[in-house]
Amino acid sequence: MSPMSLFGSLKFPTGISAADDALINEAFGQLRARYKNYQDPWGFSLETCEQALRRLIPLYRYYFKVRLFGKENLTDEAYIVVSNHSGQLPLDGMLMNMAFVLELDNPRILRGMVERFMVQLPFLADLSAQTGSILGDRANCQYLLDHGESILVFPEGVRGTSKSTVDYYRVQPFTQGFYRIALQKHTRILPAAVVGAEEMFPFVWQARAVAKALGMPALPLSANYWPLPSPVDIHLGKPLDVPIDLSPDAPEKDIKEQVLKVEGQVKRLLAVGLKHRRPFFDPIRKPLSKLILKQEREP
Amino acid sequence: MKPGGKRHILLIGMAGGLAQITARLLLTENPEWTIHGVDTRPLDHVASLPRLTTTCMKYSRGNFENLFRAQRFDAVLHLGRLSHSSNDQDQLARRLEISVMGTSRILEMCLREEVQKVVVLSTFHVYGALADNPVFINEEAPLQASIRHPELRDVVEMDQICTNWMWKHQNAHSTVVLRPCNVVGTQIQNAMTRYLTSRLALRPVDFNPFFQFIHEFDMAQVIARSLTCLPTGTYNVAGNDFISLREALDIVGSKGFPFPVMLADGLNSLLSMVGKEFPSYLLDYLKFSCLIDNGQIKKHLGEDFCRFSIRETLELIKLR
Repeated sequence: MSPMSLFGSLKFPTGISAADDALINEAFGQLRARYKNYQDPWGFSLETCEQALRRLIPLYRYYFKVRLFGKENLTDEAYIVVSNHSGQLPLDGMLMNMAFVLELDNPRILRGMVERFMVQLPFLADLSAQTGSILGDRANCQYLLDHGESILVFPEGVRGTSKSTVDYYRVQPFTQGFYRIALQKHTRILPAAVVGAEEMFPFVWQARAVAKALGMPALPLSANYWPLPSPVDIHLGKPLDVPIDLSPDAPEKDIKEQVLKVEGQVKRLLAVGLKHRRPFFDPIRKPLSKLILKQEREP
Repeated sequence: MKPGGKRHILLIGMAGGLAQITARLLLTENPEWTIHGVDTRPLDHVASLPRLTTTCMKYSRGNFENLFRAQRFDAVLHLGRLSHSSNDQDQLARRLEISVMGTSRILEMCLREEVQKVVVLSTFHVYGALADNPVFINEEAPLQASIRHPELRDVVEMDQICTNWMWKHQNAHSTVVLRPCNVVGTQIQNAMTRYLTSRLALRPVDFNPFFQFIHEFDMAQVIARSLTCLPTGTYNVAGNDFISLREALDIVGSKGFPFPVMLADGLNSLLSMVGKEFPSYLLDYLKFSCLIDNGQIKKHLGEDFCRFSIRETLELIKLR
């Protein structure tokens, strides 16, 4: 297969269709009504979000060909959306956010949690704040949930994005902070899985020493820094209620038990997603999948 | 301290714009009250008001002892912290002497002379502008400013001396420590007001932190009301709104010049070679937000204790 034929099936974006234009107008009309009296202390701006969406929608439609499954499980309420994390740049978070604006009847901006490193980066910190991302801090999450915002968390953290190839689609152990917040604010958890983002940046090497020197949480080196056009499927599960009799300050083992349930849901969604995924780089992916499945079968 | 009746107040830091507004306010609202203002700076420019007397003096133990022996004070308003918007080493030594040692002497005298109420003006700078600051920082948050910027140790130490003293002697005195956000106005001469009104203000292009501003009249009201309305405790002082730095500069009509703050540390190092550097802690405020929680003070002063919104406050400093 020549590189040209490989990319031949791709329709490279040139502009925004009339249907998408109407869709964005309608979605942002609803969002403007939702955010009418809301002032954000991080600098979130609907105008910036709309501009970004208009520029990125061709990527969403024609490059990553994003599909959203399970939106019928959602009602118009604030959730803590918990997803697997993959790809070396958080494009999975960006695509999920776009899906929540474009595909839902009641569009929502997901407020993503970012690493401390991110909020120190000139220009990027400001841009990410304007598009809704905030520092992953418990007080920040509580503030947003108090204001009816849905938040997006990747409890795998950096371990999710800096996985080596053999660990693709292996969910790393979840941290527990998100569950304590959910208990405190009585917010339902929406499990989600993203399939297709792992292959965007094939992993080459983990440059730990360089990452440490630069003060970065991780620095996985990739063969490419423009994402490969891997088709992306986002699967949303059924919202999980949090137990009313469990305290946010409960011992770690009690919280861990609940977190494992959420982790299990994400893994199940991921397994379904992998079964129904669209072909991409099959000559590479299939042997890789076999290798992964073989390793998973081994004790 | 209960309102009404004859009261004699010691106001420390009388030469400052905020102290003068507070004095005028207290004397207008309380016809039987008298105020004695002291400062290390000249007091010639202080407007003469009925029932206001002033003394220019060093904040030495002897001077305070003489003052407290000569007059009996019902309350002490300590607004005499030296500005920390300078990197000068001599100035730093002076700040430590006046803000830390001076405060310690004042508190000692208050204890000895059984002053009923002590109000100390600290600042929200004690929290520090850090990348991982949450919104909104409450009064229990650690005071991290001097960890990254040791030159701010006088600011943090003064606050801690007061809060420790406050809890230690809570049965003998009612003490209030106020940590206001940026106080701005036409009469006040602090770094933020100068920055906003300067024609050469740096206008960050790579960061856009959020700020809280309180008008000097609102702040004076809070200080005045803290004598009668606030029980012992530490209180963040800020209104309910906040604003991004770029928007604030737009409102005050500051043209400034666009500048990437990421280069400012390097520029500052170069300037330090010729002894012209600006305080590096202030650069952090141009990068990261430090928004404070006003929940505690609202419990006592009401939901809308600030008369001016941030927009109105910024519009008003254009009159400067």
